[in-house]
Amino acid sequence: MPGFDFSNHTRNAALHARGVPLPKATSTGTTIVGCIYNNGVVIAADTRATSGPIVADKNCEKLHYISPNIWCAGAGTAADTEFTTALISSNLELHSLSTNRQPRVVTVMTMLKQHLFRYQGHIGAYLVVAGVDPTGVGLFTVHAHGSTDKLPYVTMGSGSLAAMAVFESTWKKDCTRDEAVKFCSEAILAGIFNDLGSGSNVDVCVIDKDKPTQLMRNYIKPNERSKKERNYKFQKGTTAVLDQKIITREEIGRYVTVHEIAGSDSDSGSLVVVEKMDVDDQP
Amino acid sequence: MTSIGTGYDLSNSVFSPDGRNFQVEYAVKAVESGGTCIGIRTKHGVVLACEKIISSKLLKPGCNKRISTVDRSAGIVTSGLLPDGRHLTSRGRDEASSWRQTYKAPIPLSSLASRLGGYVQAYTLYSSVRPFGVTAILGGWDSEAESGVDGQVGNGPAAGAGGKVDDPSVKRGGPALYMIEPSGLYWGYYGAATGKGRQAAKAELEKLDLNSPDCALSLKDAVLEAARIIYVAHEDSKDKEFELELTWISALDGPTKGRHEHVPKELLEEAEKHAKKSLEGDDEDEDDDEMEE
Amino acid sequence: MGPDMATAMLGEDGIHIDMNHLKKGEVNLGTSIMAINFKDGVILGADSRTTTGAYIANRVTDKLTQVHDTIWCCRSGSAADTQAVADIVSYHLGLYGVMNGQDGPTTQTAAALFQELCYENKDQLSAGMIIAGYDKRHGGSVYSIPLGGSLHKQSYAIGGSGSTYIYGYCDANWKEHMTEEEGIKFVKGALGEAIKWDGSSGGVIRMVVLTNRGHERHLYLPDNGYTGPGRARPATT
Repeated sequence: MPGFDFSNHTRNAALHARGVPLPKATSTGTTIVGCIYNNGVVIAADTRATSGPIVADKNCEKLHYISPNIWCAGAGTAADTEFTTALISSNLELHSLSTNRQPRVVTVMTMLKQHLFRYQGHIGAYLVVAGVDPTGVGLFTVHAHGSTDKLPYVTMGSGSLAAMAVFESTWKKDCTRDEAVKFCSEAILAGIFNDLGSGSNVDVCVIDKDKPTQLMRNYIKPNERSKKERNYKFQKGTTAVLDQKIITREEIGRYVTVHEIAGSDSDSGSLVVVEKMDVDDQP
Repeated sequence: MTSIGTGYDLSNSVFSPDGRNFQVEYAVKAVESGGTCIGIRTKHGVVLACEKIISSKLLKPGCNKRISTVDRSAGIVTSGLLPDGRHLTSRGRDEASSWRQTYKAPIPLSSLASRLGGYVQAYTLYSSVRPFGVTAILGGWDSEAESGVDGQVGNGPAAGAGGKVDDPSVKRGGPALYMIEPSGLYWGYYGAATGKGRQAAKAELEKLDLNSPDCALSLKDAVLEAARIIYVAHEDSKDKEFELELTWISALDGPTKGRHEHVPKELLEEAEKHAKKSLEGDDEDEDDDEMEE
Repeated sequence: MGPDMATAMLGEDGIHIDMNHLKKGEVNLGTSIMAINFKDGVILGADSRTTTGAYIANRVTDKLTQVHDTIWCCRSGSAADTQAVADIVSYHLGLYGVMNGQDGPTTQTAAALFQELCYENKDQLSAGMIIAGYDKRHGGSVYSIPLGGSLHKQSYAIGGSGSTYIYGYCDANWKEHMTEEEGIKFVKGALGEAIKWDGSSGGVIRMVVLTNRGHERHLYLPDNGYTGPGRARPATT
């Protein structure tokens, strides 16, 4: 039977009523920012993805491609930001092809807000839209319910308060590209260090009026995992051997079927190794 | 009509090689044999008049009206296939009411004409339909009053709105008269005539000098003229009896208070009397002319 | 959302009620907005604070939105809802303008469209709007559409959470047929009080003046006690 299956709904409702929490979607408890400068716009993001209290991904990418000169930073539900930006990017390319014009940032913003408003906040995408187009530089925020704002510098996500504090104390009007990159990365760092939902590295994307867009993946890596100072491997012989018994292949074959796998035989070097499992070296 | 039999006249969606849509032209033929209908637009209001041919002695006099109201201040009269006219009128009422629903205000006559024109035109495009066999005359008065939004509460400042401009170029309502043909073509007119007596009627309308800014015709004069023209355009020899139907729309301070109404019985009778008398007078005049020759 | 929320308002019985059942995380215009008639047209005014819960999501918001040449609206309630409604009305007025000849839509037309949307979708919207416009035939007019979707033609209208604090001020200081200077002073004074007393209103004061000269924007900053810079750009028609 085609259609939706609601057979678990009553059970889930009953469980929820007894205090079992609803399952959580992976959300990018996030810091994302954007800042315009005298010849373009910069956006930046951290790279932590969380699922409840678990860090689900230590180096995820939250800067999404819309068109060569328009990029989007996403916070909220990871799947929603990913698919919403992909959908808009696709529709925008078709629009641009049929109109024979460069895509505009306001167009992206309008498509996003109309899409998100239609879903009444159920699509949990909180986005920073930035880019350059024939009309100039554009920088917007789009909230999941479909409201938009237009500002010279913006922050979103759980780390937006920390990031906004940086902008509000250091931002300058008519700044240069390097200054904008500095503002944005500092703002993201503030999120990484002060917000539990944000962490790991800083991704930066610079969209200039006159240069190709630069995506600087892991522009800053302030949380590099250093080499362990000690070796935690157990020395050979740590555990005493009390008894030893050798079981032959024939003996095992009495209980289970034994297959010869290509590559398992070291003699047949001509066979291609399809997959090999890492196992501890035999003592 | 040399192209009859070539096949190009059978379908709406096929042009003839010389770029004509014969179905539309045949629809015009249907109109040309309809009762005469006219419209007169004056500064003070609009008059619609119609020559209703009495097809049977069993029909009740004064009933089966041919001029209908589509909105409070707009009337429509059609000449040609009567059922087509009824359908177009019904569409006009739908357009007027849907406009009211959206904009909470009466539809301007220009927009009503545009909507109906578009509707009629759509029936010239498809092979599955035939064009309308009617020409419609649409008359009305766009209210000069500052009517509010339907359903609004309150009236704003007691002192009135600020910043109004006493610019004569700012349109503040007024009379309007349109004629829509089977092709969907519609134009605004000072005087419009259609149906079998249109040629004679048009000649009479032109004499009224309606487009002159100092045309002294009052609304009542226009009613009398309309009646007279219907009588002039009527061909006694061809047609049997007919009934005169007259409606009018005045400004808010005029006799109909901005509404489209049938003219009162007394005025209708006066108009008929005047029309008959002037016909006799015409005959006398013509006699005089002949004497002079 | 507790009753101390930005959107709370005095109910008929004087008890604080939550007038905007906003969804979690929804952006809200805890707001002070107003529009007035004056001698030559209308003036719209608004604060610039947008909040999500206790956080100010935008401190320089523009709540005065143009929907046609000289027809504007003040938005209060959910930012998403009011932006969507204004966008839809703006589309319809644009279409009306090109389809119905030289004299474009009037403020009445706009108010009717706003009201239809707000009333028919009242269950899903939290939008309190004030519509103000100028056209040569009717002069200036001010309409208010509160939460239920009714339509009120008023001499002046105030709205948003901050408006509760300025009913007295407005009633005491209102005069019909004010000059432009008096009108600006009235709006500025009222919004200044609203911002002062309402926690969820704040930032700058924005104004739009609509007359037969077209529209004119004004901006007043808190830095200098809302005295300037004033007229932000010349009139356009």
